[in-house]
Amino acid sequence: MIFLIEYNRSKGRIVNIRDFDDSQRREAEDSRLEIELDLNRKGVDHEVVLLEAESRNALDRTHGRYFKDLRKILEDNQ
Amino acid sequence: MSKMPVSKTQIDRLGDRLKGGPHTENDLRLLDDYRQSFGEAYEAVVQTIRQGGEFPTGRLAKSTASIAEKLRRESIRLSQMQDIAGCRAVVTDVVKQEQFVASLRTVFPGASVIDRRDNPSYGYRAVHIIAEISGKPVEIQVRTALQHLWAEVSEKSSDVLDPTIKYGGGSESWRNFLTKSSASVAAYEELEKEHSIAVAAYEVMVAAHENSKKATAELLEHQLPDHEVQEIRGKLEDSTRKMERAEQEEQETQEEMLRRRNANADLLSEAVSWLDERAKEQKK
Repeated sequence: MIFLIEYNRSKGRIVNIRDFDDSQRREAEDSRLEIELDLNRKGVDHEVVLLEAESRNALDRTHGRYFKDLRKILEDNQ
Repeated sequence: MSKMPVSKTQIDRLGDRLKGGPHTENDLRLLDDYRQSFGEAYEAVVQTIRQGGEFPTGRLAKSTASIAEKLRRESIRLSQMQDIAGCRAVVTDVVKQEQFVASLRTVFPGASVIDRRDNPSYGYRAVHIIAEISGKPVEIQVRTALQHLWAEVSEKSSDVLDPTIKYGGGSESWRNFLTKSSASVAAYEELEKEHSIAVAAYEVMVAAHENSKKATAELLEHQLPDHEVQEIRGKLEDSTRKMERAEQEEQETQEEMLRRRNANADLLSEAVSWLDERAKEQKK
């Protein structure tokens, strides 16, 4: 699965997440660029990233930073 | 419609422009084309890893923000950046990490290996392998679960507390926490290696002891002089002692690992308390 994530770094929160099938890679890449162009026009500084994972759980394991706040990352591992 | 190939000079000029801001639409589109030129190499790398039974999470393209920051931070040209496309695998421990890295070196001969366990970057520990396919580099990050936890804490605190944390900045107390916990992860990795050796040694001793028992039983079926029987029994007792000692060593390393895990948990707990204190201060 492909995940398109718009992330507000300073707030540490996901603004938007959309998933695509593996066969929709081109569409996902086009959407990524569209979001980036739109944010750029508005002067909004968000990170836009495309990730490909086996599942949403696998994505949580390798890129938990996008989904959890700092406290939760620390607490979950105590 | 196929796109015009972009020269290295054009890419590096784009990189120079990205260091500043705001970005123009043309530059964002040009960067997107450049990122997409890594697609085939990325696909080849990820497919090869999947065939080996690992399912890394792929990052199809490094974000514009991360590219611009890296260009500002390091004296690197955009065309030299090796992590435009990449993937990340998180394995359970350092022994698995060694095995996985060795297998990657086999399937990607000529790949360069950056071992951040020998030279941690501001506490960041991991192994990065740069595989090159048709002249396009693809970065494979291999982290243990603990290295990954450390990296997530460092990255997330850079997001929400201070963007300089990832590169050695931030408040002194948070820096100390990251430094101490990185050292603790390194110490735990040594224990993981010791434990793996101790387990292997114990397994060898158990197998040897089983063989000794069988051989002894067979020998004792024959009429042997007393002194030979004594000698055989002595050897069996010796094998039992060796096995017990190996078992004890394995248990001792396990206990040491548990102590270290508890110490790590205490560090995390201190960090949570620090965050709570900070939140209280900010409310005042």
